[in-house]
Amino acid sequence: MIQMNNIVKRFGAQTVLTDVTFKVKEKEIFGMLGPSGAGKTTIINILTNQLEADGGNYSIGASPFETGLMLDEDGLYIRLNCLENLNVFADIYGIPREKSVAAIKSVGLFDAAKKTVNTLSKGMRQRLALARAILHEPKILFLDEPTGGLDPATARGIHKLILDLCANGATVFLTTHNMEEAVKLCDKVALLHKGKIVEQGSPAEICERHNAIKTVPDLESVFIKLTGVELE
Amino acid sequence: MRSIKAIFTKQAKDMFRNPMVLVQFIIFPAVALIMTELIAKSNEDIATNMFVTMMAAIFAGMALVTATAGVIAEDKERKSLRFLVMAGVKPHEYLIGTGGFILLAGLIASIAFGLIGVFTGIEFARFLTVMIMAAAASIILGAAIGIVSKNQQAATALAMPIAVILGFAPMIASFNETVAKAAGILYTQQLNVIVNDFSANFTKAITVIGINIAVLIILFVLAYQKKGLRG
Repeated sequence: MIQMNNIVKRFGAQTVLTDVTFKVKEKEIFGMLGPSGAGKTTIINILTNQLEADGGNYSIGASPFETGLMLDEDGLYIRLNCLENLNVFADIYGIPREKSVAAIKSVGLFDAAKKTVNTLSKGMRQRLALARAILHEPKILFLDEPTGGLDPATARGIHKLILDLCANGATVFLTTHNMEEAVKLCDKVALLHKGKIVEQGSPAEICERHNAIKTVPDLESVFIKLTGVELE
Repeated sequence: MRSIKAIFTKQAKDMFRNPMVLVQFIIFPAVALIMTELIAKSNEDIATNMFVTMMAAIFAGMALVTATAGVIAEDKERKSLRFLVMAGVKPHEYLIGTGGFILLAGLIASIAFGLIGVFTGIEFARFLTVMIMAAAASIILGAAIGIVSKNQQAATALAMPIAVILGFAPMIASFNETVAKAAGILYTQQLNVIVNDFSANFTKAITVIGINIAVLIILFVLAYQKKGLRG
Protein backbone atom coordinates (compact mmCIF):
# COMPACT_ATOMS: atom_id res chain seq x y z
CA MET A 1 0.00 0.00 0.00
CA ILE A 2 2.88 2.34 0.86
CA GLN A 3 6.46 1.81 -0.18
CA MET A 4 9.52 3.97 0.30
CA ASN A 5 12.85 3.07 -1.27
CA ASN A 6 16.13 4.67 -0.28
CA ILE A 7 14.58 8.06 0.41
CA VAL A 8 17.05 10.85 1.09
CA LYS A 9 16.07 14.33 2.24
CA ARG A 10 18.31 17.27 2.92
CA PHE A 11 17.57 20.70 4.32
CA GLY A 12 20.52 22.78 3.18
CA ALA A 13 23.69 21.04 4.29
CA GLN A 14 21.85 18.88 6.82
CA THR A 15 20.75 15.40 5.78
CA VAL A 16 17.55 14.60 7.68
CA LEU A 17 16.68 11.27 6.03
CA THR A 18 19.18 8.70 4.81
CA ASP A 19 18.19 5.68 2.71
CA VAL A 20 14.80 5.28 4.33
CA THR A 21 13.22 2.08 3.05
CA PHE A 22 10.04 0.39 4.29
CA LYS A 23 6.84 -1.18 3.10
CA VAL A 24 3.33 -0.98 4.55
CA LYS A 25 0.79 -3.63 3.63
CA GLU A 26 -2.90 -3.01 3.12
CA LYS A 27 -4.99 -2.82 6.33
CA GLU A 28 -1.84 -2.69 8.42
CA ILE A 29 -1.03 -0.22 11.20
CA PHE A 30 2.54 0.85 10.66
CA GLY A 31 4.34 2.90 13.28
CA MET A 32 7.33 5.13 12.63
CA LEU A 33 9.02 5.43 16.02
CA GLY A 34 11.66 7.85 17.11
CA PRO A 35 12.40 10.85 19.26
CA SER A 36 11.61 14.41 18.25
CA GLY A 37 13.78 15.49 15.35
CA ALA A 38 14.37 11.95 14.10
CA GLY A 39 12.65 12.72 10.78
CA LYS A 40 9.22 11.14 11.31
CA THR A 41 7.19 14.17 10.23
CA THR A 42 9.47 14.67 7.23
CA ILE A 43 8.53 11.16 6.07
CA ILE A 44 4.82 12.01 6.34
CA ASN A 45 5.40 15.28 4.52
CA ILE A 46 7.10 13.43 1.67
CA LEU A 47 4.41 10.74 1.51
CA THR A 48 1.68 13.38 1.40
CA ASN A 49 3.44 15.42 -1.32
CA GLN A 50 4.16 18.33 0.95
CA LEU A 51 7.90 17.92 0.52
CA GLU A 52 10.01 16.60 -2.31
CA ALA A 53 12.62 13.97 -1.59
CA ASP A 54 16.17 14.56 -2.79
CA GLY A 55 16.72 10.91 -3.63
CA GLY A 56 14.99 7.55 -3.79
CA ASN A 57 11.38 6.89 -4.67
CA TYR A 58 8.07 6.03 -3.08
CA SER A 59 4.64 4.86 -4.07
CA ILE A 60 1.20 4.98 -2.46
CA GLY A 61 -1.70 2.77 -3.45
CA ALA A 62 -4.28 5.53 -3.08
CA SER A 63 -5.01 8.89 -4.68
CA PRO A 64 -4.68 12.07 -2.60
CA PHE A 65 -8.48 12.06 -2.28
CA GLU A 66 -8.27 8.59 -0.71
CA THR A 67 -5.85 9.64 2.01
CA GLY A 68 -6.57 11.28 5.34
CA LEU A 69 -4.13 13.38 7.31
CA MET A 70 -3.80 14.36 10.93
CA LEU A 71 -0.84 16.51 11.91
CA ASP A 72 0.44 17.80 15.21
CA GLU A 73 -0.85 21.23 14.13
CA ASP A 74 -4.55 20.68 13.60
CA GLY A 75 -5.26 23.48 11.10
CA LEU A 76 -8.83 23.83 12.32
CA TYR A 77 -10.83 27.01 11.73
CA ILE A 78 -10.98 28.40 15.23
CA ARG A 79 -14.00 30.65 14.77
CA LEU A 80 -16.15 27.92 13.21
CA ASN A 81 -17.81 25.23 15.28
CA CYS A 82 -16.91 21.54 15.09
CA LEU A 83 -19.61 20.63 12.62
CA GLU A 84 -18.91 23.63 10.40
CA ASN A 85 -15.24 22.66 10.27
CA LEU A 86 -16.15 19.21 9.02
CA ASN A 87 -18.78 20.57 6.62
CA VAL A 88 -16.15 22.69 4.85
CA PHE A 89 -14.34 19.48 3.96
CA ALA A 90 -17.51 17.50 3.26
CA ASP A 91 -18.40 20.17 0.70
CA ILE A 92 -14.90 20.08 -0.80
CA TYR A 93 -14.99 16.28 -1.09
CA GLY A 94 -18.53 16.45 -2.46
CA ILE A 95 -19.88 14.04 0.12
CA PRO A 96 -23.16 14.45 2.01
CA ARG A 97 -22.99 16.58 5.15
CA GLU A 98 -24.50 13.67 7.09
CA LYS A 99 -21.00 12.18 6.96
CA SER A 100 -19.81 15.08 9.11
CA VAL A 101 -22.34 14.11 11.76
CA ALA A 102 -21.26 10.47 11.53
CA ALA A 103 -17.57 11.43 11.84
CA ILE A 104 -18.21 13.70 14.79
CA LYS A 105 -20.17 10.94 16.52
CA SER A 106 -17.42 8.42 15.89
CA VAL A 107 -14.88 10.55 17.77
CA GLY A 108 -17.31 11.18 20.63
CA LEU A 109 -17.74 14.88 19.99
CA PHE A 110 -21.41 14.99 19.08
CA ASP A 111 -22.33 16.89 22.24
CA ALA A 112 -19.75 19.54 21.34
CA ALA A 113 -20.76 19.76 17.69
CA LYS A 114 -21.93 23.36 18.00
CA LYS A 115 -18.98 24.54 20.08
CA THR A 116 -16.50 26.81 18.37
CA VAL A 117 -13.03 25.33 18.04
CA ASN A 118 -11.35 28.01 20.15
CA THR A 119 -13.38 26.86 23.17
CA LEU A 120 -12.29 23.20 22.88
CA SER A 121 -9.62 21.45 24.94
CA LYS A 122 -6.53 20.07 23.23
CA GLY A 123 -7.91 16.54 23.40
CA MET A 124 -11.19 17.59 21.80
CA ARG A 125 -9.33 19.40 19.03
CA GLN A 126 -7.24 16.28 18.40
CA ARG A 127 -10.42 14.22 18.12
CA LEU A 128 -11.96 16.76 15.78
CA ALA A 129 -8.81 16.70 13.64
CA LEU A 130 -9.12 12.90 13.52
CA ALA A 131 -12.79 13.23 12.53
CA ARG A 132 -11.74 15.47 9.65
CA ALA A 133 -9.09 12.94 8.60
CA ILE A 134 -11.61 10.07 8.48
CA LEU A 135 -14.56 12.09 7.15
CA HIS A 136 -14.26 10.81 3.57
CA GLU A 137 -13.42 7.23 4.66
CA PRO A 138 -9.88 7.26 3.28
CA LYS A 139 -7.97 4.15 2.29
CA ILE A 140 -4.82 5.42 3.97
CA LEU A 141 -4.55 7.48 7.12
CA PHE A 142 -1.44 9.43 8.03
CA LEU A 143 -1.38 10.29 11.71
CA ASP A 144 1.45 12.41 13.06
CA GLU A 145 1.71 11.94 16.83
CA PRO A 146 -2.04 11.32 17.14
CA THR A 147 -2.02 11.21 20.93
CA GLY A 148 0.80 13.65 21.63
CA GLY A 149 0.11 15.63 24.80
CA LEU A 150 -3.22 13.96 25.51
CA ASP A 151 -4.43 12.53 28.81
CA PRO A 152 -4.60 8.71 28.98
CA ALA A 153 -8.39 8.51 28.68
CA THR A 154 -8.48 10.57 25.49
CA ALA A 155 -5.46 8.69 24.14
CA ARG A 156 -7.24 5.40 24.77
CA GLY A 157 -10.26 6.68 22.88
CA ILE A 158 -8.09 7.58 19.91
CA HIS A 159 -6.35 4.19 20.06
CA LYS A 160 -9.72 2.47 19.88
CA LEU A 161 -10.71 4.60 16.91
CA ILE A 162 -7.50 3.78 15.06
CA LEU A 163 -8.01 0.05 15.67
CA ASP A 164 -11.64 0.32 14.50
CA LEU A 165 -10.60 2.16 11.35
CA CYS A 166 -8.06 -0.50 10.55
CA ALA A 167 -10.62 -3.24 11.20
CA ASN A 168 -12.87 -1.46 8.69
CA GLY A 169 -10.21 -1.67 6.00
CA ALA A 170 -8.04 1.43 6.40
CA THR A 171 -4.26 1.32 6.27
CA VAL A 172 -2.73 3.47 8.99
CA PHE A 173 0.70 5.08 9.00
CA LEU A 174 1.41 6.77 12.30
CA THR A 175 4.36 8.41 13.95
CA THR A 176 4.94 8.33 17.67
CA HIS A 177 7.67 8.54 20.25
CA ASN A 178 5.53 6.54 22.66
CA MET A 179 6.80 2.94 22.58
CA GLU A 180 3.91 1.65 24.64
CA GLU A 181 1.47 3.09 22.13
CA ALA A 182 3.37 1.49 19.28
CA VAL A 183 3.31 -1.94 20.92
CA LYS A 184 -0.39 -1.59 21.58
CA LEU A 185 -1.41 -0.45 18.10
CA CYS A 186 1.07 -1.37 15.43
CA ASP A 187 1.38 -4.51 13.33
CA LYS A 188 4.77 -3.30 12.15
CA VAL A 189 7.10 -0.58 13.33
CA ALA A 190 10.29 1.05 12.14
CA LEU A 191 12.70 2.62 14.58
CA LEU A 192 14.06 5.88 13.25
CA HIS A 193 17.18 7.48 14.64
CA LYS A 194 18.75 10.62 13.17
CA GLY A 195 17.02 10.03 9.86
CA LYS A 196 17.99 6.37 9.52
CA ILE A 197 15.85 3.30 10.10
CA VAL A 198 17.80 1.24 12.59
CA GLU A 199 15.31 -1.63 12.92
CA GLN A 200 11.94 -2.70 11.58
CA GLY A 201 9.44 -5.53 11.91
CA SER A 202 6.61 -6.43 14.25
CA PRO A 203 7.09 -5.19 17.83
CA ALA A 204 7.31 -8.79 19.08
CA GLU A 205 9.91 -9.75 16.46
CA ILE A 206 12.03 -6.72 17.22
CA CYS A 207 11.91 -7.32 20.97
CA GLU A 208 12.71 -10.99 20.47
CA ARG A 209 15.65 -10.14 18.25
CA HIS A 210 17.00 -7.89 20.95
CA ASN A 211 16.03 -10.05 23.95
CA ALA A 212 13.73 -7.35 25.21
CA ILE A 213 10.57 -9.32 25.92
CA LYS A 214 9.22 -8.24 29.25
CA THR A 215 6.00 -7.21 30.88
CA VAL A 216 5.53 -3.52 30.36
CA PRO A 217 4.25 -1.79 33.48
CA ASP A 218 0.88 -0.41 32.57
CA LEU A 219 -0.06 2.13 35.24
CA GLU A 220 -3.14 3.19 33.35
CA SER A 221 -4.64 -0.29 33.63
CA VAL A 222 -3.76 -0.45 37.33
CA PHE A 223 -5.49 2.87 37.92
CA ILE A 224 -8.60 1.77 36.04
CA LYS A 225 -8.61 -1.61 37.81
CA LEU A 226 -8.32 -0.01 41.25
CA THR A 227 -10.70 2.89 40.74
CA GLY A 228 -13.04 1.71 38.03
CA VAL A 229 -12.71 5.06 36.28
CA GLU A 230 -10.47 6.36 33.53
CA LEU A 231 -8.05 9.21 34.08
CA GLU A 232 -9.69 12.45 32.93
CA MET B 1 -16.43 25.01 -8.42
CA ARG B 2 -17.36 22.83 -5.44
CA SER B 3 -14.19 23.84 -3.60
CA ILE B 4 -14.63 27.52 -4.43
CA LYS B 5 -18.17 27.43 -3.03
CA ALA B 6 -17.02 25.62 0.12
CA ILE B 7 -14.21 28.11 0.74
CA PHE B 8 -16.45 31.08 -0.06
CA THR B 9 -19.00 29.84 2.50
CA LYS B 10 -16.28 29.18 5.06
CA GLN B 11 -14.88 32.66 4.52
CA ALA B 12 -18.31 34.25 4.96
CA LYS B 13 -18.93 32.46 8.27
CA ASP B 14 -15.40 33.12 9.48
CA MET B 15 -15.44 36.83 8.64
CA PHE B 16 -18.74 37.51 10.38
CA ARG B 17 -17.19 36.06 13.56
CA ASN B 18 -13.91 37.91 13.20
CA PRO B 19 -14.43 41.42 14.54
CA MET B 20 -10.89 42.48 13.60
CA VAL B 21 -11.67 41.98 9.91
CA LEU B 22 -15.38 42.76 9.96
CA VAL B 23 -14.86 46.16 11.54
CA GLN B 24 -12.77 47.28 8.57
CA PHE B 25 -15.78 46.85 6.28
CA ILE B 26 -18.02 48.85 8.56
CA ILE B 27 -15.84 51.59 10.01
CA PHE B 28 -14.97 53.43 6.77
CA PRO B 29 -18.53 53.80 5.45
CA ALA B 30 -19.65 54.64 9.01
CA VAL B 31 -17.03 57.40 9.34
CA ALA B 32 -17.96 58.72 5.87
CA LEU B 33 -21.63 58.84 6.91
CA ILE B 34 -20.97 60.55 10.22
CA MET B 35 -18.59 63.15 8.78
CA THR B 36 -20.85 63.84 5.80
CA GLU B 37 -23.87 64.36 8.03
CA LEU B 38 -22.13 66.30 10.79
CA ILE B 39 -19.55 68.34 8.88
CA ALA B 40 -19.94 68.35 5.10
CA LYS B 41 -23.68 69.00 4.92
CA SER B 42 -23.49 71.90 7.36
CA ASN B 43 -20.42 73.55 5.88
CA GLU B 44 -20.72 75.26 2.50
CA ASP B 45 -16.93 75.42 2.02
CA ILE B 46 -16.65 71.65 1.97
CA ALA B 47 -17.82 69.53 -0.95
CA THR B 48 -20.73 67.33 0.15
CA ASN B 49 -18.96 64.19 -1.02
CA MET B 50 -15.53 65.06 0.32
CA PHE B 51 -15.58 62.51 3.10
CA VAL B 52 -17.14 59.82 0.91
CA THR B 53 -14.33 60.31 -1.62
CA MET B 54 -11.66 60.29 1.06
CA MET B 55 -12.98 57.29 2.96
CA ALA B 56 -13.71 55.26 -0.19
CA ALA B 57 -10.09 55.64 -1.34
CA ILE B 58 -8.75 54.80 2.12
CA PHE B 59 -11.10 51.80 2.32
CA ALA B 60 -10.12 50.46 -1.09
CA GLY B 61 -6.42 51.01 -0.50
CA MET B 62 -6.15 49.94 3.11
CA ALA B 63 -8.95 47.73 4.39
CA LEU B 64 -9.02 45.29 1.51
CA VAL B 65 -5.23 44.89 1.40
CA THR B 66 -4.87 44.24 5.11
CA ALA B 67 -7.98 42.02 5.30
CA THR B 68 -6.89 39.77 2.42
CA ALA B 69 -3.29 39.57 3.62
CA GLY B 70 -4.48 38.76 7.15
CA VAL B 71 -6.89 36.02 6.10
CA ILE B 72 -4.34 34.20 3.91
CA ALA B 73 -1.52 34.61 6.43
CA GLU B 74 -3.77 33.22 9.17
CA ASP B 75 -4.63 30.16 7.08
CA LYS B 76 -0.93 29.62 6.46
CA GLU B 77 0.07 30.18 10.07
CA ARG B 78 -2.55 27.79 11.44
CA LYS B 79 -1.71 25.22 8.74
CA SER B 80 -5.33 25.19 7.57
CA LEU B 81 -4.09 25.63 4.01
CA ARG B 82 -2.17 22.35 4.15
CA PHE B 83 -5.36 20.46 4.80
CA LEU B 84 -7.18 22.24 2.00
CA VAL B 85 -4.38 21.41 -0.44
CA MET B 86 -4.35 17.81 0.82
CA ALA B 87 -8.12 17.65 0.21
CA GLY B 88 -7.45 18.50 -3.42
CA VAL B 89 -8.18 22.24 -3.36
CA LYS B 90 -6.25 23.97 -6.15
CA PRO B 91 -4.47 27.23 -5.30
CA HIS B 92 -6.66 29.25 -7.67
CA GLU B 93 -9.79 27.75 -6.10
CA TYR B 94 -8.63 28.81 -2.65
CA LEU B 95 -7.77 32.31 -3.80
CA ILE B 96 -11.01 32.77 -5.76
CA GLY B 97 -13.08 31.47 -2.83
CA THR B 98 -11.33 33.66 -0.28
CA GLY B 99 -10.85 36.73 -2.47
CA GLY B 100 -14.35 36.35 -3.91
CA PHE B 101 -15.99 36.81 -0.56
CA ILE B 102 -13.77 39.75 0.34
CA LEU B 103 -14.68 41.29 -3.03
CA LEU B 104 -18.37 40.78 -2.30
CA ALA B 105 -17.95 42.41 1.11
CA GLY B 106 -16.05 45.24 -0.62
CA LEU B 107 -18.91 45.63 -3.11
CA ILE B 108 -21.46 45.90 -0.30
CA ALA B 109 -19.32 48.56 1.41
CA SER B 110 -18.97 50.37 -1.95
CA ILE B 111 -22.73 50.42 -2.39
CA ALA B 112 -22.95 51.90 1.11
CA PHE B 113 -20.45 54.62 0.09
CA GLY B 114 -22.49 55.27 -3.05
CA LEU B 115 -25.68 55.65 -1.07
CA ILE B 116 -24.01 58.00 1.42
CA GLY B 117 -22.69 60.04 -1.51
CA VAL B 118 -26.20 60.04 -3.03
CA PHE B 119 -24.72 59.08 -6.41
CA THR B 120 -27.26 58.34 -9.07
CA GLY B 121 -27.36 56.91 -12.58
CA ILE B 122 -24.09 57.10 -14.51
CA GLU B 123 -22.25 58.50 -11.47
CA PHE B 124 -23.21 55.48 -9.40
CA ALA B 125 -22.22 53.11 -12.21
CA ARG B 126 -18.84 54.81 -12.66
CA PHE B 127 -18.28 54.86 -8.91
CA LEU B 128 -19.01 51.15 -8.55
CA THR B 129 -16.85 50.29 -11.57
CA VAL B 130 -13.77 52.04 -10.22
CA MET B 131 -14.43 50.79 -6.69
CA ILE B 132 -14.71 47.16 -7.82
CA MET B 133 -11.59 47.46 -9.97
CA ALA B 134 -9.69 49.08 -7.09
CA ALA B 135 -10.99 46.41 -4.71
CA ALA B 136 -9.79 43.68 -7.07
CA ALA B 137 -6.34 45.34 -7.24
CA SER B 138 -6.17 45.53 -3.43
CA ILE B 139 -7.25 41.91 -3.02
CA ILE B 140 -4.57 40.70 -5.44
CA LEU B 141 -1.97 42.81 -3.60
CA GLY B 142 -3.21 41.51 -0.24
CA ALA B 143 -3.04 37.93 -1.51
CA ALA B 144 0.57 38.43 -2.61
CA ILE B 145 1.44 39.84 0.82
CA GLY B 146 -0.38 36.98 2.57
CA ILE B 147 1.53 34.43 0.51
CA VAL B 148 4.98 35.82 1.23
CA SER B 149 4.25 36.29 4.94
CA LYS B 150 4.96 33.54 7.43
CA ASN B 151 2.27 34.61 9.86
CA GLN B 152 -0.35 37.28 10.52
CA GLN B 153 2.08 39.52 12.37
CA ALA B 154 4.48 39.53 9.43
CA ALA B 155 1.57 40.13 7.04
CA THR B 156 0.38 43.14 9.03
CA ALA B 157 3.91 44.53 9.25
CA LEU B 158 4.28 44.29 5.48
CA ALA B 159 0.75 45.28 4.49
CA MET B 160 0.33 48.29 6.72
CA PRO B 161 2.94 50.67 5.22
CA ILE B 162 1.87 49.73 1.68
CA ALA B 163 -1.78 50.19 2.60
CA VAL B 164 -1.08 53.55 4.23
CA ILE B 165 0.65 54.81 1.06
CA LEU B 166 -2.20 53.55 -1.13
CA GLY B 167 -4.92 54.81 1.16
CA PHE B 168 -3.52 58.22 2.03
CA ALA B 169 -1.76 59.17 -1.21
CA PRO B 170 -4.99 60.60 -2.71
CA MET B 171 -5.58 62.75 0.37
CA ILE B 172 -2.02 64.12 0.33
CA ALA B 173 -2.29 64.57 -3.44
CA SER B 174 -5.21 66.93 -2.96
CA PHE B 175 -2.88 69.32 -1.09
CA ASN B 176 0.26 68.93 -3.23
CA GLU B 177 0.50 68.96 -7.01
CA THR B 178 3.82 67.12 -7.19
CA VAL B 179 2.41 64.32 -5.06
CA ALA B 180 -0.72 64.36 -7.22
CA LYS B 181 1.37 63.81 -10.37
CA ALA B 182 3.40 61.01 -8.80
CA ALA B 183 0.33 59.39 -7.25
CA GLY B 184 -1.38 59.37 -10.65
CA ILE B 185 0.07 55.93 -11.31
CA LEU B 186 -1.74 54.49 -8.28
CA TYR B 187 -5.18 52.93 -8.60
CA THR B 188 -6.37 54.65 -5.45
CA GLN B 189 -5.52 58.07 -6.90
CA GLN B 190 -7.45 57.25 -10.08
CA LEU B 191 -10.38 56.18 -7.93
CA ASN B 192 -10.13 59.49 -6.12
CA VAL B 193 -9.98 61.46 -9.39
CA ILE B 194 -13.18 59.87 -10.70
CA VAL B 195 -15.13 60.11 -7.47
CA ASN B 196 -14.14 63.76 -7.04
CA ASP B 197 -15.22 64.64 -10.56
CA PHE B 198 -17.38 62.21 -12.49
CA SER B 199 -16.76 64.17 -15.69
CA ALA B 200 -13.00 63.42 -15.47
CA ASN B 201 -11.39 61.12 -18.05
CA PHE B 202 -13.00 57.80 -17.10
CA THR B 203 -11.22 55.79 -19.81
CA LYS B 204 -7.84 57.00 -18.59
CA ALA B 205 -8.74 56.13 -15.00
CA ILE B 206 -9.86 52.57 -15.71
CA THR B 207 -6.86 52.05 -18.01
CA VAL B 208 -4.46 53.06 -15.22
CA ILE B 209 -6.34 50.85 -12.73
CA GLY B 210 -6.24 48.01 -15.28
CA ILE B 211 -2.47 48.42 -15.64
CA ASN B 212 -2.19 48.38 -11.83
CA ILE B 213 -4.14 45.12 -11.75
CA ALA B 214 -1.88 43.60 -14.45
CA VAL B 215 1.26 44.60 -12.55
CA LEU B 216 -0.16 43.24 -9.30
CA ILE B 217 -1.06 39.94 -10.98
CA ILE B 218 2.58 39.61 -12.08
CA LEU B 219 3.70 40.43 -8.53
CA PHE B 220 1.26 37.84 -7.21
CA VAL B 221 2.52 35.14 -9.61
CA LEU B 222 6.10 35.86 -8.58
CA ALA B 223 5.14 35.65 -4.89
CA TYR B 224 3.27 32.41 -5.52
CA GLN B 225 6.16 30.88 -7.44
CA LYS B 226 8.52 31.76 -4.60
CA LYS B 227 6.40 30.73 -1.64
CA GLY B 228 3.36 28.76 -2.82
CA LEU B 229 0.38 28.25 -0.58
CA ARG B 230 1.68 25.64 1.82
CA GLY B 231 1.91 26.75 5.39
